[in-house]
Amino acid sequence: MRKIVIPGELIDEKPLRILDSIVENNKTYSTIMGLYDDEKKSLIPLEGLWYPNRDDQVIGIIEESKLNTETVILNAPYKGLIISKYSEGKMASGDFIEASVKELDKTGTVILTRPRTLRGGKIIKIKPSKINRLLGKNNTMIRQISEGTGTRIIPGLNGMIWLNDGNIDLAIDAINTVCKEAHTSGLTERIGNMLKSTKSTTIITEEKVEEEMI
Amino acid sequence: MKGNIELIKNGKRLDGRLAGDLRDIKIKTNVVKNAQGSAYIEWGNNKIIAAVHGPSEALPRHTANPNKAVVKCRYMMAPFSSSEEHGRSGMNRRAIEISKVTGEVFENVILRDQFPGTEINLYIEVLQSDGGTRAAGITCAAVALAASGIPMRDLPYSVSAGKVGDTVILDLNKIEDNYSDADMPVAILPRNNEIVLLQMDGSLTTKQYSDAMELIIESGKKISAIQRTALLEPYVASENKNKG
Repeated sequence: MRKIVIPGELIDEKPLRILDSIVENNKTYSTIMGLYDDEKKSLIPLEGLWYPNRDDQVIGIIEESKLNTETVILNAPYKGLIISKYSEGKMASGDFIEASVKELDKTGTVILTRPRTLRGGKIIKIKPSKINRLLGKNNTMIRQISEGTGTRIIPGLNGMIWLNDGNIDLAIDAINTVCKEAHTSGLTERIGNMLKSTKSTTIITEEKVEEEMI
Repeated sequence: MKGNIELIKNGKRLDGRLAGDLRDIKIKTNVVKNAQGSAYIEWGNNKIIAAVHGPSEALPRHTANPNKAVVKCRYMMAPFSSSEEHGRSGMNRRAIEISKVTGEVFENVILRDQFPGTEINLYIEVLQSDGGTRAAGITCAAVALAASGIPMRDLPYSVSAGKVGDTVILDLNKIEDNYSDADMPVAILPRNNEIVLLQMDGSLTTKQYSDAMELIIESGKKISAIQRTALLEPYVASENKNKG
């Protein structure tokens, strides 16, 4: 049985070790808004922040390029930093990059490694708590959107998503719908229908234009 | 009773409420698109917006705490919010005080050790005031923080109590606030009734104090339920839409 919980709400009478919960007087309480599953004993955040972990794939924007380092804007409390020994080639400020997290150092900077510049495209921000739903089981959801719109989509766990080629606007609409309805069931099907119906309408309008021209 | 205003007539207060009645409360979440989380409250004639930014890098750097996040709160009344003059030249002494105590309420509630070296900015803007704005502001800001996904121990609520003559009353409006014999805003964590804010103007006897706390804790159940409904509303609405 799944239920929505708010901060401070009792989720179990026993002390449990679940992310985003605290134990007081041998009882477990939620610290965020989330969906709690009684059987699986899992708490899925509905609203939440991204906290850097090792090997997280992130998308960022180069803020400043200095002699040996580049600072990166991430959708997070902390700034990213690329040290030249982990990067190949120079990056300019404003470049979009994909990288993975090496560590969070003591001064509160996220050290990034294996950066890759992403040419062109667009970056959008969504809530980091929705990224897992956007990926779907075995990346089914993101693949469906990517194939349905012909867009290349690279999601970062920090809530930034890079899109290029194809029908970007439709892809963004689909992503926003996923974020809005992340907690509902039958979402994959609805997104599939949404992509199909938009496709068919565009074809009809193209045919109409051709007819009018004749 | 100060002045010549009779605040309680035939057991009823000026706006028709009984001694232990709350005003009507409405809360709406996510009203400000660019904020991390936000909420709007209508508490009687009070209209307040609260918004949260962060956690982000603490600036200036010397304000950062390497072990915990710092909470920076700004409570401000709009110049048009009340019949008296407020906020015409930025923060006055009253606004600075309320910002401080509100910030301290949330310092005790937010799990700050999860975000060392950062700051959480909390803005409370009073658009229209009718007494009890600090209590309404805290109640609203708690919802905004929950909607932003910042981890908290509990969802605090706040309400004021006071006395007129020998009668203890709950949730004072502006006239009652000005002419009553005592005014005591309290913020409470509902799970174990832990007090995170307690201020008082005037004086209460021990008996009156415990009566006031009883009224506050009883009304807190209603306020917490309203906060909960407001937070769940967007999710319940989209679920119903898909079913329908």
